[in-house]
Amino acid sequence: MSEQARTSGIDLRALGPHLLLPLAIVAVVAIFAMLQPAMLSGDNVVNIMKQSSLFFFVACAQLVVIITRGFDLSVGANVSLVSVASSMVMTALIPSLGGTAGIVAGVAAGLAIGVSIGAVNGFLVAYGRINPFIVTLATMSIFTGVATTISGGFPIFNLPEAFSFAFNQMTILLLPIPLIIAALVAYALHFSLTRTVHGRVLYVLGDSNEVAHVGGRRVKEHLFLAYITSGVLASIAGLLMTAQTGSGEPNLGTSLVLNSIAAAVIGGASLRGGTGGISAPIYGALLIVCLSIGMNLQQINGSLQPVVIGAILIFGAALDAYRTKSR
Amino acid sequence: MNVETTTPGAVAAPGPALIEIARLDKSYGAFKALEDMQFELRAGEVHVLFGENGAGKSTLIQIICGVQGYDSGDYRLFGEALSGLTPAVAHEKGVSIVFQEFSLIPDMTVEENLFLGHEMTRGGRLAKSAMREKVQAVLDRLGFHLDPAARVSSLRRAHQQMVEIAKALLWDCRVLILDEPTASLTDQESAQLFDIIEQLRAEGLGIVYVSHRMPEITRLADRITVLRDGKFIATVNKADTTEKELVQLMTGRTFDEFFPHIDRTPGDTVMAFDDVTLQSGLAENLSFEVRRGEVLGLAGLAGCGKSEVLRAAFGLEAVKSGQITVNGTPLGKHSPRKALSSRICYFPSDRGTEGLAMHQNLISNSTIAALDDPVFSRRKMLLNRRAETGFTEAMIDKLKIRTPGLNAKADQLSGGNKQKLMIARGLSREFDVFLFDEPTVGVDIQAKLEIYDVIKTLTEDGKAVVIASSELAEVMHMSHRVIIMREGRIVGELDGDAVTENAVLSHFFDHDGTENGQGAEAS
Amino acid sequence: MTVSATNSDSRARNILKAIGILPVVLVLTCVLLALYEPRFLRTSNLINVLRNASFLSIISAGQMLVIIVGGFDISVGAIVALTSVSSALSMVGLASMGIESAPVIVLLGCLAGLVPAVIVGIANGFLVSVLKISPFMVTIGTMTIAAGIAGYVTGGTPIYDMPELFTREIGRGKFLELPYIVYAAGIVLMALWYMQTQTRLGRYFYAVGGNEKASRLSGLNTRKYIWLGYVLSAFLAGIVGLFLTARVGSGEATLGSNLMLESISVAVIGGVALKGGVGRIQMVALSAIFLSVLSNGMSLARIDSKYHIIIIGLVIIIAVAAESYRESRRGSNV
Repeated sequence: MSEQARTSGIDLRALGPHLLLPLAIVAVVAIFAMLQPAMLSGDNVVNIMKQSSLFFFVACAQLVVIITRGFDLSVGANVSLVSVASSMVMTALIPSLGGTAGIVAGVAAGLAIGVSIGAVNGFLVAYGRINPFIVTLATMSIFTGVATTISGGFPIFNLPEAFSFAFNQMTILLLPIPLIIAALVAYALHFSLTRTVHGRVLYVLGDSNEVAHVGGRRVKEHLFLAYITSGVLASIAGLLMTAQTGSGEPNLGTSLVLNSIAAAVIGGASLRGGTGGISAPIYGALLIVCLSIGMNLQQINGSLQPVVIGAILIFGAALDAYRTKSR
Repeated sequence: MNVETTTPGAVAAPGPALIEIARLDKSYGAFKALEDMQFELRAGEVHVLFGENGAGKSTLIQIICGVQGYDSGDYRLFGEALSGLTPAVAHEKGVSIVFQEFSLIPDMTVEENLFLGHEMTRGGRLAKSAMREKVQAVLDRLGFHLDPAARVSSLRRAHQQMVEIAKALLWDCRVLILDEPTASLTDQESAQLFDIIEQLRAEGLGIVYVSHRMPEITRLADRITVLRDGKFIATVNKADTTEKELVQLMTGRTFDEFFPHIDRTPGDTVMAFDDVTLQSGLAENLSFEVRRGEVLGLAGLAGCGKSEVLRAAFGLEAVKSGQITVNGTPLGKHSPRKALSSRICYFPSDRGTEGLAMHQNLISNSTIAALDDPVFSRRKMLLNRRAETGFTEAMIDKLKIRTPGLNAKADQLSGGNKQKLMIARGLSREFDVFLFDEPTVGVDIQAKLEIYDVIKTLTEDGKAVVIASSELAEVMHMSHRVIIMREGRIVGELDGDAVTENAVLSHFFDHDGTENGQGAEAS
Repeated sequence: MTVSATNSDSRARNILKAIGILPVVLVLTCVLLALYEPRFLRTSNLINVLRNASFLSIISAGQMLVIIVGGFDISVGAIVALTSVSSALSMVGLASMGIESAPVIVLLGCLAGLVPAVIVGIANGFLVSVLKISPFMVTIGTMTIAAGIAGYVTGGTPIYDMPELFTREIGRGKFLELPYIVYAAGIVLMALWYMQTQTRLGRYFYAVGGNEKASRLSGLNTRKYIWLGYVLSAFLAGIVGLFLTARVGSGEATLGSNLMLESISVAVIGGVALKGGVGRIQMVALSAIFLSVLSNGMSLARIDSKYHIIIIGLVIIIAVAAESYRESRRGSNV
């Protein structure tokens, strides 16, 4: 008799990332803690939690799109534009509408931009059938340009303190508000990926668009929605980051793109599509942020830090290649 | 099997051994592809490698031409024991192979492809006119009317296959290996190829011809080596062997034991094609009916359009004119989504790219076609994972799918189990029509029987079943009615007792007298 | 295929099919510019355009090679920076070691500048062709590493004091009214044209990118050609780095930061297919000229530089959409 399917007990391969990554994160923290005790100080831990939460959103945006066998190079531009536009709306409307309404308007504007950028990307990828790399490369250029244009290239100051408080400094039960929002979004995304038809179809079409089509699913619509989701997640990151800096910055998102892809891939999402869960951006964001903060504390030269991240990216991608090959 | 009239003098006395293989073993990980294999090729013979899909034919020829290595055993090429054979070296020594899978560069021209890896140069520069001359000469000799400057991607699949054959014959070779070469050729093109093969045999080449199609074996073979499940079964002379004996060697069973008897209780017409012509032109003027309670077979050589008919029925091929009706309602703008809701289920021939999501688990694959069904999702948005799990477990049980677990990914299953997983989706919701496109390609015998059983059950439950298959035996013995297609048109319809091998074969080839001795007499 | 139009109509269509729409758009753009902005045709302006097009076409040629063999090179911009910094440092270092002869300093400095570039190329090639890591990931990784090293070594400030031979003669000098970079570009373009159309190597690049498996079955060492693509791309980026440094007059760690995006844009607009196996240097050169003309036109029309990037993004989308549409119309049997 010919081939028999392999039998095995526990699926070690699936368990792997969940053991290795937390271990890696702990190792990183431990190493830096030995070099710089301040790593474990209360303030620093809060800082790590906040930064991780912020970065988490961008990594999530990547995850959704990576599952569909694409990636989103425009997340950085998204963050920048949201930062600038929401700030402008807030500062323009607060004198007439008052504090709360102004902030709400600003947040709404930010989210609307997230949806729009996602819609443009989604339309070109799903209906225009253009390679996601090219589409998001182009939209990255375009929306970075728009951000620079409407802001004149300068930051927008005088954001209401209430805004920074509500979205950055406030704590609920000692937990910073960004962390809480991140936890809620994480749950929502996890739910949508694992327990909804939409999530299921995303994974299937990530393997092969044709298989989903033959299975009777509306591939284009699901793909479109995935990019909108990515846009919204990136815009949430933009709003929270703006609240952190206290001003609208046209370059807020410039360095985010590569790190967000690195985080998602190292965390377990595969560029070939069809795999990756909520754990990927969680682990990936934590790892990258702990590394960055640790390196800052250790006063490693700002220019060398990307070198470390770059090396980790290559290592993570090599692991991914190895994992894929052994199938 | 009667020996057909071949060109006189074509069967010369076979010469010295070109290839000698003995005690050969080859494994891919835990999977034993070849065990204790033996094979011998002599100059001036056509030696057919005969066996089902998965029997090991592809692995053996890959080893012969150096694409794969082997674990242990002897392999002597032209009398020399070699180690570490690579395709380049094998080619240099005079082994040419025409692969079954696509092995051309689509964006390059015919002549660029023909010379790939062996370009003629003059002082560092490509000698383009010299190459053009040689290409034209080969094409003329083969009688292939191809434009050397045409891009391969612009050619029909049949012409692409001709390019692959021309590529193998461009260089003087002593051993020619052909892996199912007529898969996309028309009978006229196939006949041309057979003439060339006989010519080469007369010139003293040793030809390894991989096939499981009787008509070709009848015409060409001197000796036949039968493989089954990676093992050597027998090497026989064609002259001494009947077709029934060959099939028995290949499957280990006789026809009667192999295919189940399916009761036939024809009901009303559930799907009808009325003068349908496809946008792609690959099938035209199709008119036929599909009835409940019986199996309709679509037969014909590869490229005849039978696959496209099924795909059109499922909404994967655009219809230019004519109408497809289901339960009396004409289908307008068709799509797989619409087909599924019209209770039509289709199992694609290409599991990997259309049938299964290879990196998703069994549950995802089994329910993909029924995610809108209230059983599996609440309000078409939330998955009912318990119901999905229950269904998948039931299918694993019922179809005897062998798997490491529910969470195993589809690509971890063997070919037969993959096919069964795909078939499981046919049971995930109510369907009236089941369209099987090459249902047992790459499937081991045990799984084949299990799949035939499923077809039997579906038919006897009153469903309408259509099977398109390139395996004549399969389509003949499983169908109650057979429609034969050739070059995109329906050329014959046989019913019940009229379905005999002779009758079917006679429709495969046209009777203009351009063929010599095709329709083989079955014994 | 139904036979349709008149003879002249189909002949025009054949020509259009052969050369594509790019030359037409380029000519139209030039004509429009000449009509609305007479300054466009001024010699100094045209030389400017030609100079920019030269830089762009050399680096895009390298990108083209990598895309043809089925990958991407995101690190080209960082390689330019790395070359700039290392060549500048070497020249300054050699001078301080007491070497008098300026030509020697320049020559050795340039070589020293190219070495890190080629090393990055070798690393890229190895990681992609041997370890089979996604080219996107690899070249992003090497980009951040190269840029980081360049930034670290300069400490954020430019490196001055390079020999005048380098900065004045080569950087700003002209031969027969044209800057040296134009000749360099000419040489590179001709060499690549020859390679692509007259040599086996050129064909093998196309083959490996077109169908890697089939190439291997035909006996090609696909690994070698993929590796070579990355090395050549890095080398050409290094050349651009040297000339840019000469022109700017100092070693800068931020040099070439736009070039990655621009090289990919030029390649895509120039008909290089992202799936690999397709791409001609002539079209890439035309595309480089087109983008330079476009940028120049926008500057002359006093469109703010902030808008340039938006317009270029739009042009990319249009170009790719047109290509995608053409592919789906043509269809293929594969």
